[in-house]
Amino acid sequence: MSRFKIANIIAYGFVTLFSIYVLMPILVMVLTTFKSKREIFLEPLGIPSQFGISSFEKALTVGLGSFMLNSFIVSFFAVFLIVTISGMAAYVLSRIDFKINKFVYLLIVAGFAIPPAAVLVPLYTMVSNLNLLNSLFGVIMPLTAFGIPFTVILFYAFFLDFPKEVEEAATIDGCTKLQIFFRIIVPLSGPVIASAAIFQTVWIWNEFLLALIMLTSDDFKTLPIGLLKLRGEWTSDWGAIMAGLTIAVIPVLIVFLIFQKYFVRSLAGLGK
Amino acid sequence: MNKNNTQTNSFSLSNDKVSATILLVPALIFCTIFIFIPAIGTIVGSFYSYSLTSMNNWKWVGFGNYIKATQDEYFWVALKNNFIIVFASIVLQVGVGTILAAILDRGIKYGRVIFRTIIFTPMVISSVAVSLIWLIIYDPNVGILNAIFKSIGLSTPSKGWLGDPNISIWMIMITAAWQNTGFMMVLILAGLQGVSKEVYDAAEIDGATGVKAFWYITLPMIRNVLIVAILITTIGAFKVFEFIFVFTQGGPSNATQVLGTYIYLQAFNLFHMGYANALSVILLLIALFLGWLQLKSSRKA
Repeated sequence: MSRFKIANIIAYGFVTLFSIYVLMPILVMVLTTFKSKREIFLEPLGIPSQFGISSFEKALTVGLGSFMLNSFIVSFFAVFLIVTISGMAAYVLSRIDFKINKFVYLLIVAGFAIPPAAVLVPLYTMVSNLNLLNSLFGVIMPLTAFGIPFTVILFYAFFLDFPKEVEEAATIDGCTKLQIFFRIIVPLSGPVIASAAIFQTVWIWNEFLLALIMLTSDDFKTLPIGLLKLRGEWTSDWGAIMAGLTIAVIPVLIVFLIFQKYFVRSLAGLGK
Repeated sequence: MNKNNTQTNSFSLSNDKVSATILLVPALIFCTIFIFIPAIGTIVGSFYSYSLTSMNNWKWVGFGNYIKATQDEYFWVALKNNFIIVFASIVLQVGVGTILAAILDRGIKYGRVIFRTIIFTPMVISSVAVSLIWLIIYDPNVGILNAIFKSIGLSTPSKGWLGDPNISIWMIMITAAWQNTGFMMVLILAGLQGVSKEVYDAAEIDGATGVKAFWYITLPMIRNVLIVAILITTIGAFKVFEFIFVFTQGGPSNATQVLGTYIYLQAFNLFHMGYANALSVILLLIALFLGWLQLKSSRKA
């Protein structure tokens, strides 16, 4: 019995300590936001004596609102394209016996393995030659491409397990594959669409490298690139930097807490 | 009758082909234009010397860029750092993630969802934001890491936590673990929840409980999930960019470069496009090898 108790204490102790390690930086971020410059410097471990909002006012001057709007536009269109295009392709790969299907699937898995950093120079040259540097369209297109392989794999696994009876009945009724896909498969694919959309939104909202090389004008920067401006503008004014981060991070955390069940589910499916 | 049947079949087959092509083509177009053509461009470009400003002055150098890489001390430093990050990430993220998952699966009764939610949270924060938050923690003047060390009477590194490359690479690891361990935990937890109760009951009859049962029975059963977790972590470790870009910019004197940041430096700061391409091809080969491993292991699963 006592051995059981000790094991229990160790188990709770370990997860509690790890949770403190996770929460501590977020707490530091929020508390620093409200501290005065003096407090930040003299009492790194203390709590703010008053809740000043001057740091927030400074942080907003770097244009966080416009960065967020850009991130929202990029995420919305890219995720919409990724989910639609990947779902369509995965359906064909899982249903129709083309001889080239195996080759296409391997190609897509290869696409999943290629990181943006490995094709950085030609991609930049291409977007530059198309005059799409510093345009949201110019990042939405490549980001969509890089999101497709993983999402195809995700949908493919889902469609393989999908009961085929309904589709067979529809085929007998004279529906084409195109009609079957849009009228029968899509309405029944809610869970996998949600998983794919959540996963891709997190990835695209946070994507850094491609946005960094393609968006150099402040008008088009997405939030991850824009956040760097906080540091440039408010070099050692930690209150302003942390205020900017709080503004950027807290909405994401709230969305995450509301939908955490789905987030966890969509990521947990990866190991299967 | 028979003839009629064949006709319907061939009609519906051609119809299927049209539908299938319409559904498949957009994905292929996107991947071809933005992934495969640039990948080929990277390979072709790696045999030339050219700069960003003079795009038309391509000079054929054969394997010159690759020979340059083998003689470039900083390329080896970057590659070595990538491998350090791979091994440390596997230990810190997959290792600790497995322990956390095991505790949440069977070790504790209360608060599972709360702990899981807290530990998973950093995953949704962008790596740039994560880096900037940790920057203040490591700061030598206002950082809480220094404050904590001083308050318990320990000395702090004289060049700061990010100024000495031998220390800063570990600070990068701690930050990466902070962001990714929860993801590994959730992944492995899903695997653990697939292990049936009967297995544990049978183990208990044989006298295996607690840590023993976990080590000899549970771990082998979730072998596939662990392989996927290790591969995702390895691939992630080769993609590391933001932490280093924000913390050290690869410095001091290139000691904390990784392949990603070194490619960026060569291409967009030094404008050695051909050389950057050659480094990219090396990264590409590593990535494709890891992708092939993943495909093989997922087929087994």
